[in-house]
Amino acid sequence: MDEKKKIILKLENICQSYVVKDGVKDAVDNVSFEIYDNEFLVLLGPGHCGKTVLMNLIAGLETPVGGKIYLDGEEIHGSDRRIGMVFQSLNLMPWRTVMANVEFGLEISGVKKDERRKVAQKYIDLVGLTGFENSYPHELSGGMKQRVGIARAYTNNPEILLMDEPFGQLDAQTRYAMEEEVLRIWEQEKRTIIFVTNNIEEAVFLADRIVLLSKCPATVKQIYDLKDLPRPRNMTDTEFLRIRSEVSENTDLAL
Amino acid sequence: MSETTNVLTNEQRVKLVQDQKKQEAFRNTMLSISGVLLFFVIWEILALSGIVDRKKICDVLEIFQLFIVKFTDPNPDGAVLLVNVWSSLEIALCGFGLAIVIGIPLGWLMGWYRGFDSFIRPIFEIIRPIPPVSWIPLTIVWMGVGLQAKAFIVFFAAFVPCLINSYTGIRQTKEVLKNVGKTCGASYFTVFWKVGIPSSMTMTFAGIKVAIGNAWATLVAAEMLAASSGLGYMILMGRSYGRVDLVIMGIVVIGALGVLISALINLLENAVLGWKKL
Amino acid sequence: MTKKNNSMLSAAEIREKQLQMLYKILPIVSVILLIGLWLLASSGGSGFPSPAEVWDKTIQLFVKPVKKLSLIGHVGVSLRRIGLALLFDWTAGIAFGVLIGWYPKAKALLGPMFNAFRAVPPLAWIPLITLWFGIGEFPKVLIVIFGSLASIVVNVQAGMSNVEKMYLDVGTVFNATPSQRLLKIAIPSALDAIFAGVRTSTSAAWMVVLAAEMLGANAGIGFLISRGMDSLDMPLVLTGMVAIGIVGAILAIVTQFAERMICPWTRRKKSF
Repeated sequence: MDEKKKIILKLENICQSYVVKDGVKDAVDNVSFEIYDNEFLVLLGPGHCGKTVLMNLIAGLETPVGGKIYLDGEEIHGSDRRIGMVFQSLNLMPWRTVMANVEFGLEISGVKKDERRKVAQKYIDLVGLTGFENSYPHELSGGMKQRVGIARAYTNNPEILLMDEPFGQLDAQTRYAMEEEVLRIWEQEKRTIIFVTNNIEEAVFLADRIVLLSKCPATVKQIYDLKDLPRPRNMTDTEFLRIRSEVSENTDLAL
Repeated sequence: MSETTNVLTNEQRVKLVQDQKKQEAFRNTMLSISGVLLFFVIWEILALSGIVDRKKICDVLEIFQLFIVKFTDPNPDGAVLLVNVWSSLEIALCGFGLAIVIGIPLGWLMGWYRGFDSFIRPIFEIIRPIPPVSWIPLTIVWMGVGLQAKAFIVFFAAFVPCLINSYTGIRQTKEVLKNVGKTCGASYFTVFWKVGIPSSMTMTFAGIKVAIGNAWATLVAAEMLAASSGLGYMILMGRSYGRVDLVIMGIVVIGALGVLISALINLLENAVLGWKKL
Repeated sequence: MTKKNNSMLSAAEIREKQLQMLYKILPIVSVILLIGLWLLASSGGSGFPSPAEVWDKTIQLFVKPVKKLSLIGHVGVSLRRIGLALLFDWTAGIAFGVLIGWYPKAKALLGPMFNAFRAVPPLAWIPLITLWFGIGEFPKVLIVIFGSLASIVVNVQAGMSNVEKMYLDVGTVFNATPSQRLLKIAIPSALDAIFAGVRTSTSAAWMVVLAAEMLGANAGIGFLISRGMDSLDMPLVLTGMVAIGIVGAILAIVTQFAERMICPWTRRKKSF
């Protein structure tokens, strides 16, 4: 493994809180960490701990009340084309076909039709949806919808891909399959991925590094480096299980 | 590091957000007021400058005056305002009340018991596409031009949404809730009464709201086509005598009463469906 | 497996089968009952026409025109009126609905006046409009516009102000411009609400044109009915009503079909 890792994204003292009626509710409290180029980073934390908020902050859907986000060394404000997102709630547009959903980002950027068709087709093939280009989202299964979501995020060729609990709503079997899929896609098309989950097994299975967050308001509790755990990983492997229980013991209980 | 803490204290942020909300509400109110003012200013300009024929438009103040005068003056349609209002309300409430009493239970039964559905549905489907207004000639032949005939037409207009909504509402009862009832040993009728009907209430009320709108709209038509009193008759007479002030005043009164009735229904809904707010 | 013998069915299954039969017979019974009632009503000398009379009248209307127009001709006149009105509804009405549904400031400015406008029942505008514009073709179309505009604006406005935030989030992540957010996200996501408006405005327009024609016209299906009323020609009235019902039903089917063509992703659960 290359020891000289390039930092691509840096969060510095990020704080986020909301005004609720007559008070202020903290969601993220002074979070700082760095993400290396082409790394698979998992943000792990209990339910409702502010993981999604952190994602929204990086994606530019929200503005932090404190702290800075640097991308390639420059501070960014709001959304940035270099950051793509796979949403938690299957945000596929029901009025668009698979193809039209996947090429949406390119359409927004004003890419010509022939070109964006070509790019979109490449990623539809990559996620294994060849033949479903003209289907509507309601005709797809949950796992297939998430594949569309991944293809859509990839198509705009972002440097960083945010995945916000993408498999939270899938059943266990599909979930395992999709975890392997996401690794396969990542191996083929290397990007920096920030993956949010509340599932420890999923985190250990996927991650190069795990950033463990505390319960709400989220703070960084610990960072685990799993690069030495060889891939493909086996969930029944002793080393896997050891790390899993180590992380597990350190994780806060969700309310 | 200066960035580690918020620049503002929590109290300041709360205040800031509240101020922003207040400002926005204030701005919207001002916009609304100016929109309404603009409308009246244009109206007055058109009326006073003579750009539009005085027979076709009148001063806003004249309408107010007429509104007051009409409380005691039966001219030109032969009845004072309150008599007309009462005459209209009487018909609307009769027809509407009947539609609720018949339409809603029928919808529930059709939605719950398949026998009712397959028996009544064909009749309903045949009659439904015919607009209530077109029943007017027939009802006049049957019942003359009295309260009965008009109430019947209003009933027709209000009946359809009542039935459809209570039907759809009870059809959407969650299977789980039905099963809860069944596992408690309740009969099909008890489940209908205790589970089906309460869970259809939201939709049913939506139907009632549509129904009152329909009833009020159809009433105006019925009164214009066959009546000797009522608000619809009043504006039609205003038209015949070329009294634009009377027509506009009548339209405003009809609109305002419609709003008032809907508001009452909303109050009733809040009272009945209080649990929804939780 | 061979077909189950009756004797092999359980009591519950037999009962279920009987019920199924009953559910098939009941609709037929009810229609027969309706026709029977009609026959009964017409036999009593109440002035109510019998089905045969109505049928004769309908045939007659095709051969012997009323005011130079056959039944089809009158339906055509009415359809032309609502067609023109709906053309306006579906352009200006949708545009206005988008405006006040999407831009809060526009809603604050124009909303109160619009709400006042729609509080007035459609037909109440008839005296005012005839006072302003007489009884020609234009005021009739205007009456239909006044009567059907509110229903489409309300639907479009509701659709546009309830655009799901998650779709807009996708736009934000891809750096969509404000006009892209409107044209590529908000309007498509409101399309089913827009179509609900198209459907309600169509049926409202059909209802209003009828009333407008009954109150004074020389042609059109509403004119036929009021003509029948004036000359105590009850078969004519009923023929008119049946024609209205059929055309209204066809209009409803056509708009539904158009919706399915244009918005193939909406799988509306048909409840009624």
